[in-house]
Amino acid sequence: MEYIEKELKEGIKIHQIKTNKFKTNLMAIFLTTSLNRETVTKNALISSVLRRGTKNMPTQECISKELEEMYGGAFDCGLDKSGDNQVLKFYLETINDNFLPQSGENMWKKTIEKLLEIVFNPLVENGAFKEEYVNQEKENVKLRIESKIDNKAKYALDRCIEEMYKGQPFGLYKFGYTEDLENIDSKNLYQTYKNLIDNCKIDIFVSGILDDNLEQYILENEELQKLKPRKPDYNIAKIISKKAEKENSVAESMDVSQGKLVLGLDLDVGEEEARYHALLYNSILGGSANSKLFQNVREKAHLAYVASSSYIRYKNNIFVNCGIEIENYDKALNLIKEQIENMKKGNFTDKEIENAKKGIISGIQAIEDEQDTQIVYYYGQELSQNKMSVSEYKEKVMQVSKENILSIANKVTIDTIYFLKN
Amino acid sequence: MQTIENLKVKEKVYIEKLENGLTVMVIPKKDTLKKYLIWGTKYGSIDSEFIVPGEKEKTKVPMGVAHFLEHKMFEQENGTNSLDVLTSLGVDANAYTSNDHTAYLFECTENFYEAMDELMDYVQHPYFTDENVEKEKGIIGQEIKMYDDYPEWRVYYNTLTAMYYNNPIKLDTAGTIESISEINKDILYRCYNTFYHPSNMVLVVCGDFEPKKMFEEVKKRLVQKSNVGEIVRLYPEEPKEIVKEKIEQKLEVSQPLFTIGIKDIPENCNIENKNIMVKKQIAIEILLNLIIGRSSELYQKLYQNGILYSQPSLEYEFSNTYAHVLITAQSNEPEDVYQKVKAEIRHLQTEGISEKDFLRIRKMIYGGYIREYNDVGDIARMFLADSMKGINSFDYLEEIEGINIEYLKQVLNEVFKEDKMVLSIVKN
Repeated sequence: MEYIEKELKEGIKIHQIKTNKFKTNLMAIFLTTSLNRETVTKNALISSVLRRGTKNMPTQECISKELEEMYGGAFDCGLDKSGDNQVLKFYLETINDNFLPQSGENMWKKTIEKLLEIVFNPLVENGAFKEEYVNQEKENVKLRIESKIDNKAKYALDRCIEEMYKGQPFGLYKFGYTEDLENIDSKNLYQTYKNLIDNCKIDIFVSGILDDNLEQYILENEELQKLKPRKPDYNIAKIISKKAEKENSVAESMDVSQGKLVLGLDLDVGEEEARYHALLYNSILGGSANSKLFQNVREKAHLAYVASSSYIRYKNNIFVNCGIEIENYDKALNLIKEQIENMKKGNFTDKEIENAKKGIISGIQAIEDEQDTQIVYYYGQELSQNKMSVSEYKEKVMQVSKENILSIANKVTIDTIYFLKN
Repeated sequence: MQTIENLKVKEKVYIEKLENGLTVMVIPKKDTLKKYLIWGTKYGSIDSEFIVPGEKEKTKVPMGVAHFLEHKMFEQENGTNSLDVLTSLGVDANAYTSNDHTAYLFECTENFYEAMDELMDYVQHPYFTDENVEKEKGIIGQEIKMYDDYPEWRVYYNTLTAMYYNNPIKLDTAGTIESISEINKDILYRCYNTFYHPSNMVLVVCGDFEPKKMFEEVKKRLVQKSNVGEIVRLYPEEPKEIVKEKIEQKLEVSQPLFTIGIKDIPENCNIENKNIMVKKQIAIEILLNLIIGRSSELYQKLYQNGILYSQPSLEYEFSNTYAHVLITAQSNEPEDVYQKVKAEIRHLQTEGISEKDFLRIRKMIYGGYIREYNDVGDIARMFLADSMKGINSFDYLEEIEGINIEYLKQVLNEVFKEDKMVLSIVKN
């Protein structure tokens, strides 16, 4: 494995990951921009409109057929909230030439051309996106926003975050808001797109068996050559300490047969090193089948099937998730709080720390065996401007001590308790 | 030891059938740190009536036993829980129960052999007590309720209910709160002793391993078990007809979710018949894409009219006793989509299939098969699931080039029949 990073122009980077572990060529383009209420919906809509047609592949049918001809090139676009950034992600995965039934294809060249075309050369009519596409995609985005209620557990988590970050960028829903759609048209959306492309941070990843001409294909691409250098408008993901003043409880009703309980925790630590400590703390609290939550809420009290927690490192928060009988709310909440209190008292053993480390390290070691995870790993470093090899990362985790974890435990406060019931 | 190589994807599988009947497969992956082991038994949620080898009377157990057993296998006599032990080793361990098999697995980068010790030990040593069986009912009860809130799950089971009169495929894998209340330790032991015999099991390992050595490692960890006869599985007679064409359920969803099901006649799943099964599945995948895949005229039209806003998921599920096609999507007008799918099928049946479209979709399906070989876990799970039907996963890559338009037409006429279609809807 070899990782080469190159700045093409200011604010535009090419990341090459040379690896022979995969059958596929994976290319990704990430557009990173600061998250705000004014553009959140427009950006979500842009990512939908781009996949509808390009200058040279003007319809979705055309794009689909081209990709199918490439042995089912898998195009995907997604939208992420990474800290206070909105990230538009575009992927194209194709089969490497070595595994095609016949030789003579140049799959990398086609992959690079097609993905750059979709992102940077959209179908434009009279200085605007094609109106028909924009109107259809507005409907599409509206449905997507409305569908946030369909996955109840995910919805409960999103609502908890929204409550915790009221009026702040991270509290925004990544697909935006239906009421914004009315005022968007093909012209102003295209202006937003131009603005995004001129000012966002652009990261282009290529991963797989890379041929020697690959860099050249990218450098010679006309769409890329047209892009201007920029001082990218995004937020570097730095750790921020937070302390909840008081516990905020929110309960809402929906037609559910199981109650979904989410706790949002704040961490009052600000040093970069604390990330590793928090990772360990979370693992012991609710990150695995050995964790306090799994063992006590599920295995001992039999209150839940799902009882876990996760650490959102970009925002320095931990979220606890449980699916419970609605009448067991008090019992479950008390039990969760008891686990948090026990952690503060240092009621966790060296064995638990060691186990948690093993689990985390196993995950770190697997990074290089998963093509998309590896891209996300390097992107995460790019975003936090903190470059580290997989082995350095492992070393950081190894060094975390019981004192480190205890100190995190005592800086944890409960910010929001969200309950979805019927 | 049998070695099968596939030159397209450039991988090999080594297969050995041990004396006690256990099938072991090793798919070596050089220079990969991730390692994966999965041990499955051909025993799923549909196996609730059977004759235990050596007995005459049939045994009938409540629904949800296979899944309940899966949960309880982790508990050990010495008071430990194997999931905890495996997690302590830093490995990612899990288990699942499907319609036709149950599997125990772990993925790791280190401590592989320690984890293998633990996994092979707990799968071979059940420990059920009245108390530990009772306690599990609370946890599984919450798992059942969690699935009750998944619209995808509801729409799926409702489709099966509309298609099948008697086949247990239509019943929830986990059972119901009522059915699991009847489960006790004697039932669990009885099912364990019947179905967890090596001759009914397959173990698959994928990672940077030397196959011969791996076979020895497996043998070393096996508990002696006497050979037993064949398990007779009893499945109720299933009419070819559907039960009812339409089924609806109310759930809070943003937009109706629907599945179009097509009931098919199951093929005999055995090694002799495997080429037919594989070819048929490939043909159905291609046909589904021609009917309503991303580049199809129908999908493009429905998308542009705002009737569909994402590509439907397209599936073909089959075993010895059931077989059906599933087309699932969200739409405000499920009935309209249903009628248009029917019309498109008629259109293809009368007007024929375009050669160009067929070749393009076949290329796409080929790419999809190659993609399955990126991850040790995907590979091992695929080989296990296919082996339960007597299929070697490489067969898909071997058979795909042989699929032609004539064969597609035949399958289109035999499987995509209007009187076998159902529509299941979940909406507000």
